[in-house]
Amino acid sequence: MFTKSTRSWLALSILLSLFALGSACNKNPETGPTPDNKARAVYTPTGNEGTVTGKIAYAGTPPAPNKIDTSQDPICGNRNPNLVAEDNVVKDGKLANVFVYIKDGTTADGKKFSDLGWEVSPEPATLDQNGCHYSPHVFGIQATQQLKITNSDPTQHNIHFTPQNNPEWNQSQANGAPAIVHDFKQTEVLVPVKCNQHNWMRAYIGVLRHRLFAVSKADGSFEIKGVPPGTYTVAAWHEGGAKGSEQTKQVTIAAKGSATADFSFGGATASAQEPSLKMMPALEVPMLGRP
Amino acid sequence: MHRGLHRFSLLVTCATFCLIIAGALVTSHDAGLATSDWPLSNGQFFPKMVGNLFWEHGHRLVATTVGLLTIGLAIYLYRREERRWLRRLGLVALGAVIAQGLLGGLTVKLMLPLVVSAAHATLAQLFFCTVVSLSVFTSKGWSEQRATYEEQGSLPLRYVCVAAVVTIFLQLILGATLRHSAPWDHYLPTDLVLAHVGGALAVTIILGSAAITVLRRHGSEGYLRRPATIALGLLGLQLLLGVAAYLTRLASPKDPQPLNPMIGITVAHVACGALVFATAIVLTLRSFKLLRARRAAIELVTAT
Repeated sequence: MFTKSTRSWLALSILLSLFALGSACNKNPETGPTPDNKARAVYTPTGNEGTVTGKIAYAGTPPAPNKIDTSQDPICGNRNPNLVAEDNVVKDGKLANVFVYIKDGTTADGKKFSDLGWEVSPEPATLDQNGCHYSPHVFGIQATQQLKITNSDPTQHNIHFTPQNNPEWNQSQANGAPAIVHDFKQTEVLVPVKCNQHNWMRAYIGVLRHRLFAVSKADGSFEIKGVPPGTYTVAAWHEGGAKGSEQTKQVTIAAKGSATADFSFGGATASAQEPSLKMMPALEVPMLGRP
Repeated sequence: MHRGLHRFSLLVTCATFCLIIAGALVTSHDAGLATSDWPLSNGQFFPKMVGNLFWEHGHRLVATTVGLLTIGLAIYLYRREERRWLRRLGLVALGAVIAQGLLGGLTVKLMLPLVVSAAHATLAQLFFCTVVSLSVFTSKGWSEQRATYEEQGSLPLRYVCVAAVVTIFLQLILGATLRHSAPWDHYLPTDLVLAHVGGALAVTIILGSAAITVLRRHGSEGYLRRPATIALGLLGLQLLLGVAAYLTRLASPKDPQPLNPMIGITVAHVACGALVFATAIVLTLRSFKLLRARRAAIELVTAT
């Protein structure tokens, strides 16, 4: 039925297509930390706990905040006419919205920090949709602690968590609807939150077993209270790129003492945001629609 | 041939093309999960169309329209069309549009898993292929008696056209997978981008060969020349749109929200891809109508 050259052409096209499809399927699955359900003895405060403080600096000149176009929903423009992106909130060289937490370490009496259990706060954390942005933009919560989500806007939103370790979750919330309560079973730093109705809305939730976390304020300062004496790795996470960027520092806290851990983001640390196609630098040209 | 039936087929084809654009707008705006329920949006048939709900619910309304039109087309075919196989093709289109609606619901309910989203985008192209074929088969040009031509050269043009359609379809699957593999604020996976570039090369070679061969061998036959010329023009446009879509998409993860240049160009790339596919289908069907195997080849087959 087919001539030899026809067969060759067909075979060539099928081979090329299969090669292309095969390349597409050769994608490694995302790997994340294994969920941790280990039983632990709950840590009881002794009164000797200390504090970790510090400041987050921004190295170099911060980019001008990107203005948000809210024209798709006039209510957002009326409620928040000067809405800007919150990925780099810098004032006087200090960076806000950096999530700082105790990542690992050893207590003064030789126990591994990861082996300590922690009581879950009975108070729910809150996430409000107000002025078509999330408040707070970055915050921490304990695994299984309740998260109360409210909508203070006269427009509808949807809350879409896109975690790696916890199940993905999406829920619409109309204006005036009652609060929605949610929780995360597994720890994760950090869970991205977005609203698909207003695609500029972003928030990040650090889910930890313990309460030893803080978020840098407008002046870049943070304070983590109630840290058992010991030597710890303090991590600071800042959004940007697909997974954000994290830095760590070692601190030692004496009984009722304090330690300082300062961090600096921006400048060189922006390399975490590089595009994946590094082999095509020639395509890095000025982009349409860029400010 | 029934003129009204052909016009109705063209209407369904145009509506389906609009639906593909509406679907591409949903993906580019990251609006697929603007509401967590389906088939209603926020519990309503006509919700307030603000924010990205405009795109997501608008897509559902256009899809509903196409579904109703396809039901109408299937009934029309059963009442007016004598060719049994064509009536059955109408039923295939109806089955495809129902399956497509269910896949659309699944994408929302399962929160856009890549396999389901890519399958939704791929079935859209298959459905488009079916309604384009229906438009060709119901046309006046298809029913008319036309002079046929013997295939020339060692490579039958008809099979090169089939290879072009198959390659374009596989490239469309790759494109759909690439688009749904990462939202606008994440970088596209390198391996998929390279695979899509490889697919573009394959389509360019095979479709380009088919169209140029048509123009060289049968340039005087307008019934073949027109789709071949359009295919070449669309192919060139599609390649340019592909480069532009890549550049704007490369920049978008650093943007605070999807910007109009990225949205407009990527949607145009999807739409042009559908048009290239449709043109290749028309060219292939027409080549099978007008071209016949070489006499020598027939004699050889008969002798063996």
